[in-house]
Amino acid sequence: MTDRLSLEQRIQTAFADLVAAHPHDGFLQYRIDQSRLPEVARFLHERLKGRLALLFAIDCRPRAQKYEIQYLFALGAGQPWVLLTVELVGSASLFTSITPSVHAAQWYEREIRDLFGLIPQGHPDLRRLVRHEHWPQGLHPLQKAFPWDKTMGWQQGEYRFRHIEGEGVFEVPVGPIHAGIIEPGHFRFSVAGEPIMQLEVRHFWKHRGIEKLFEQCTLSGALPLAERVSGDTTIGHSLAYCQAVESLLHLEIPRRARFLRSFFLELERLHNHIGDVGAICNDTAYTLAHAHCSRMKEQLMQLNDWLTGSRFLRGTMAIGGVTKDLTAIQQRAVIDSLDRIEKDFAELESIIFANASLTDRLETTGVLTERTAWDHGAVGVVGRASGIDHDVRRDRPFAAYDEVPVHTVVYRYGDVRARLRVRMDEIHESIRLIREIWQQLPHGSILAAADHMPQPGEWALSAVESWRGEVLYFVMAGDDGHIHRCKVRDPSFVNWPAIQWAAVGNIIPDFPLINKSFNLSYAGNDL
Amino acid sequence: MFRILKKSLKTGLVTGQYPQAQPLVTPIPAAHEKAAPFKSSLTIREVDTGSCNACEMEMNALTNPVYDVERFGVHIAASPRHADALVVTGPVAVNMEHPLKEVYKQTPHPKLVIALGDCAINCGIFKGSYAVTGPVERHIPVDVRIPGCPPRPVEILEALASIRSFRTPSDE
Ligand code: SF4
Repeated sequence: MTDRLSLEQRIQTAFADLVAAHPHDGFLQYRIDQSRLPEVARFLHERLKGRLALLFAIDCRPRAQKYEIQYLFALGAGQPWVLLTVELVGSASLFTSITPSVHAAQWYEREIRDLFGLIPQGHPDLRRLVRHEHWPQGLHPLQKAFPWDKTMGWQQGEYRFRHIEGEGVFEVPVGPIHAGIIEPGHFRFSVAGEPIMQLEVRHFWKHRGIEKLFEQCTLSGALPLAERVSGDTTIGHSLAYCQAVESLLHLEIPRRARFLRSFFLELERLHNHIGDVGAICNDTAYTLAHAHCSRMKEQLMQLNDWLTGSRFLRGTMAIGGVTKDLTAIQQRAVIDSLDRIEKDFAELESIIFANASLTDRLETTGVLTERTAWDHGAVGVVGRASGIDHDVRRDRPFAAYDEVPVHTVVYRYGDVRARLRVRMDEIHESIRLIREIWQQLPHGSILAAADHMPQPGEWALSAVESWRGEVLYFVMAGDDGHIHRCKVRDPSFVNWPAIQWAAVGNIIPDFPLINKSFNLSYAGNDL
Repeated sequence: MFRILKKSLKTGLVTGQYPQAQPLVTPIPAAHEKAAPFKSSLTIREVDTGSCNACEMEMNALTNPVYDVERFGVHIAASPRHADALVVTGPVAVNMEHPLKEVYKQTPHPKLVIALGDCAINCGIFKGSYAVTGPVERHIPVDVRIPGCPPRPVEILEALASIRSFRTPSDE
């Protein structure tokens, strides 16, 4: 409580005329005029060390003739979220950009421009982001007036990459379709000799209109969609969505269900992290480690399949709890498998780190400095490898993490090795957590039923630490149980711009390795 | 060195350690004929046109030591120019329509197109969206459909085996 007072007081002292609203527990909301926005945002970001966690717009039509732009700041563990709300009434379509002082806003503001047609004034880079050049002018799909199933036209256009000019500078385009079995994205390198001088990431090839699709769904019907935002993060996304809807429905989740949620979330983290460790080794041509890791990953996926009928744990989360309970035999089997895998993996770890030619490739490669990570608001594995001590499981405990606390892993060097180490340590930590959950697993029901319906315009926000990092869902209820707006933020969306800086100074052959060590989602980014 | 050997010996042979599946696909008869040249070797290029990435992960799993798809003569190529078959996943996102057609053009004849997963077959959960321009077959001819969301690796394996009509892993 003192924390809230002190934070609220500090904002009050700096801006005497701002009045805080407390829309939910753990939120401070300020409705401000956009002329004040840059200074308030700057104060939160620079003075209070607030991280811009989310920035998005809402078209309030037909209930109100206005747009709202929401700026969500996270201020350290245990502090409430600070939400700044700016309104654009009627036909107003200009809003003040905060990118000049809060760098992390850059993609968000371009995204708003593309999807809503609102223009961030003062933004240094107003090129298209989500809309590729062939989208017709004036097409902004998240405006309420835009029909969700409209067929799009086609126009000629050209995307202008940032150029570096000079003697011996040339550009290497890579993608959108890559050599391996991976998702599409475009990378444009400017190199002089070997080192990369600049990397520009051009994404959104896979944009499927997911946020618009959410608006066609009911609160209870959108869960399968949330599971398919980024297929490898099924639990991370579906859990974040469920939690947001549950707070709209005022649902109390049974304790056993909360424990099982953490259990499944850690299982998801495990198979992804083990797969990544292998993939990073593979990109240094150390296929032995890759073979062992993909074998272990496969064992875990088969275990998932056996437990829930889905190798990706699909259909496990439900609004109000979970759909799958675990029998004592299943629990035992999981613990036994994890005991084996932990030993197996530990042996492999010592083999990996005994290999000097491997560690040579990893150290000092693809360094993301703490400063750059902070400026981009980097989260998750990428952030923790660059000294950003942030983990939703510890800072804003959800599911069972208040009773089963996590030991957060942080490294400072920000290179490929640090990202590998974070994953390795988290693998052990996940196994420890699963054991702990198993020991403390309470009895009781696993699903609660709702008897409340939210009013149109009510909203909720939820955060989950998925294996990649912080997943955020903002859900606003619409009429008769429909969704008015659902903003999805995969951790990849904030980490992609950061990778552009991690690549600088490295050589192109190292980029696949750097990219693997970030392992960001294209699907979750492009939406 | 000894540690590595010891680990390999201790691990033993893991290939084939997966639950068997019933063949799911009933390929269209023409696919058998089209697949005839690829009986002993099939080189695949995977194209993601907007999937959720789970279908890719299952394709990737095929190359792990447990499924080891190479033992059936299936390789993954780095370029469509080296491919006999395109495996397409995901609904065709509006921004991927052009790259997909381009890849199809660059793949030499004769070629197979395999639509992997519900999204590629009928757009799945993304059907109707403004940013999705229809299933794969709206843009390029599809020979084989492997349903599932996502199909399990063993189901993909069975499907590949059945169109090329060689011995399936289960009658080994
Ligand atoms: S079929 Fe299912 S698993 Fe495959 S891409 Fe579509 S949603 Fe993802």
